[in-house]
Amino acid sequence: MAGQPQFDVVIAGGGVLGAAVAARLSRTSARVALVEAETDLAEGASKGNAGVAVSYYGAPGTQQTQLINASNPGWEALTGRLDVPYRRLGGLMIALNADEEQRLQETLAEVHACGVRGELLTARQIGDTEPLVSERAVAGLLLPDEGVIDPMRLTISFARLAAANGVRIRLGERVLGIEHDGDLSSVITSRGRLETRFVVNAAGVEADRVSALAGGETLRTWPRKGQYVVLDRAFGQKLTKIVFSTHTPQTKGSNVVPTTHGSVLLGPTALDIEDRDDRATDSETVAWILDNARRLVPATADAYIMKTFAANRPAGDEAHRLRTDARQPRLLHVTDRSAGVSVSPAAAELALTLLRAAGLDASDRDGALDALPRVPRLRTSADPVALTDADPRYGQVVCLCEHVTAAEISAALAGPVAATSVDGVRKRTGAAYGRCQGSLCLAGISFLTAMSTGQGPASVSQTARGTVGS
Amino acid sequence: MTAPYLVVGAGPTGLGCAAELATVHPVELIDRIPVPGGEAGWSSPEITALVKAARRSGVRFRLGNTAVRWEPGRLLVAGPGRIEWLPGHQLFYAGGLRPATAADLSITGDRPAGVLPATVADHLLTAQNRLWHRLAVIGDGPWARAVAVRARAGCSAVIAITPGCDAPEWADEAITQATQIVIVGRDRVRAVRVCAKQQWTEVACDGVVLAASPRPNRNVTGALGEDSPGVAFVQPVDALSVSERSGIGRSTARRWITANNGTE
Repeated sequence: MAGQPQFDVVIAGGGVLGAAVAARLSRTSARVALVEAETDLAEGASKGNAGVAVSYYGAPGTQQTQLINASNPGWEALTGRLDVPYRRLGGLMIALNADEEQRLQETLAEVHACGVRGELLTARQIGDTEPLVSERAVAGLLLPDEGVIDPMRLTISFARLAAANGVRIRLGERVLGIEHDGDLSSVITSRGRLETRFVVNAAGVEADRVSALAGGETLRTWPRKGQYVVLDRAFGQKLTKIVFSTHTPQTKGSNVVPTTHGSVLLGPTALDIEDRDDRATDSETVAWILDNARRLVPATADAYIMKTFAANRPAGDEAHRLRTDARQPRLLHVTDRSAGVSVSPAAAELALTLLRAAGLDASDRDGALDALPRVPRLRTSADPVALTDADPRYGQVVCLCEHVTAAEISAALAGPVAATSVDGVRKRTGAAYGRCQGSLCLAGISFLTAMSTGQGPASVSQTARGTVGS
Repeated sequence: MTAPYLVVGAGPTGLGCAAELATVHPVELIDRIPVPGGEAGWSSPEITALVKAARRSGVRFRLGNTAVRWEPGRLLVAGPGRIEWLPGHQLFYAGGLRPATAADLSITGDRPAGVLPATVADHLLTAQNRLWHRLAVIGDGPWARAVAVRARAGCSAVIAITPGCDAPEWADEAITQATQIVIVGRDRVRAVRVCAKQQWTEVACDGVVLAASPRPNRNVTGALGEDSPGVAFVQPVDALSVSERSGIGRSTARRWITANNGTE
């Protein structure tokens, strides 16, 4: 077929937004590829975030708020279909003094203006709602529709669904150039040339580079580093609400967040930096995070610290950007600094609408998959005794802290978008997330990953970028 | 019939504990590894003797089963092809030790590939993998020497980084009195920055092993905190020899029997 390109859409970026767009487009007639520079999905902000699917994030009337509103009611159904851990826990924003109480009132007005449920609580009501919150709290704002989600599982599940529906997921492939010839574009990558009609720029902090390569607008993006502290499940099981700092005009603040794994995440901090590969923690910031968390939830002082880490979110001159490029009508930008997870389902829908408006021929397909098979988990199973009937490898516990079995790890190492590194297994299963941080299981996971990828335990990838041995 | 006492961990401590408990009550001894001995290995004469003594006392061995969840009265165990609830009157947890994590040691910096817990490094080295050329071993806990000796046999230079005053004899170089450690390396570890005696130095390396101050392993849901109902913990941190550990297992069991006499 002369003049017919290989793809209708090439998506640059395998974070939560790129993967969500891929999953949505996969249920249409469009032919789609997703290219990601790293060797796994969710290697940027989609890996390093607090794991909150928010109900409220900012001013009413913005596109970001509309997308959050449109996404929020559907989380239970979506995460059920995609086998992603999610819990609508509700959040509690805490005022510790009169100033913060004043700001809480303003936030409540904005929450209501956004059409989001929110209720002001007295100090006594806070104690009844979440007894672990500081007794010094003078007021609280209950946001019942805040939820916690596993952002890596969400990203990978979006991509798995997309792949199952025929989207080509191309990992370890960096976009080096984008050429235009009439209605056609060629995305030149480190591994080849992809001809396409449309390009979706979901490259996160690299969005400026992709836009420049495509001859699009001059975007300004930079990394905003956030540091986090992870607390043990023994403490996490006591905390029933997400506890937020009161917002200030400058920052949303550092929070105390139960995770879907049962641990508790403290953070993030926010520091604009230049070096896109700087993900280092430092002891002063870690100490600040712990102090801040103790102001909100004093019992965090006694909790066991499992891990500290840092990650960069894609800051820029636009915190949220979902629109067609002003210069290149077949280039669509889809990036969000902090709310990528929270907007992702509706953002993907809007991306499809905008692509269709720009001329993409994409009709919804009958028979396209909209769900993934569920992989039962030993740790959370209500009927663990029955698990070995389906797969005897459920009897082989590899990660002792998180009770991840060989059956779960084998599922992560198989199928579309399989894990190819120890970290890839970790992201898909939660193995090595526990208090021993892999002391008992990393050897086993290395052996299983090496067997699956045909490498030796020394040459197998530990992270997306580095091997176990040197 | 009263449910048995369950002992989790068939290392020296668990073997001693189980043998003593079996003098007053039926005991089942559970371990995730299909042989007894734990970190001490299964073949030494000392372990063989402990196993014999436990069998003579009537301890029932349930090896190759991983303890997963404890609810007072029953323990969920996972074994080859089979997950089951075992009735248990009381749980004695002798799950051994693990090396301190980076968070335990307040280590900050990057999180690159090439940083491994000592137990994992030991396992990979024992399987004849050559991993590094210049290895930094952080701490002088029970696994440090074994890892260092194996790494040196595989042609790696070993640098010890330890909070103590003495340079361990298993290292080629040492930084002692280290108070703060920062990992350096974006994709793979390439150095460790160490503050010792109020001075920062950077040590080049292509591997880091965490081998400091052992901590008790705790990983059975419902048996994590000291206050867990129906659970007693037997995890000596400082005792090193097999006989010391089994002795602590026995004496802890004896004390528990005395304290709980008549309350069953």
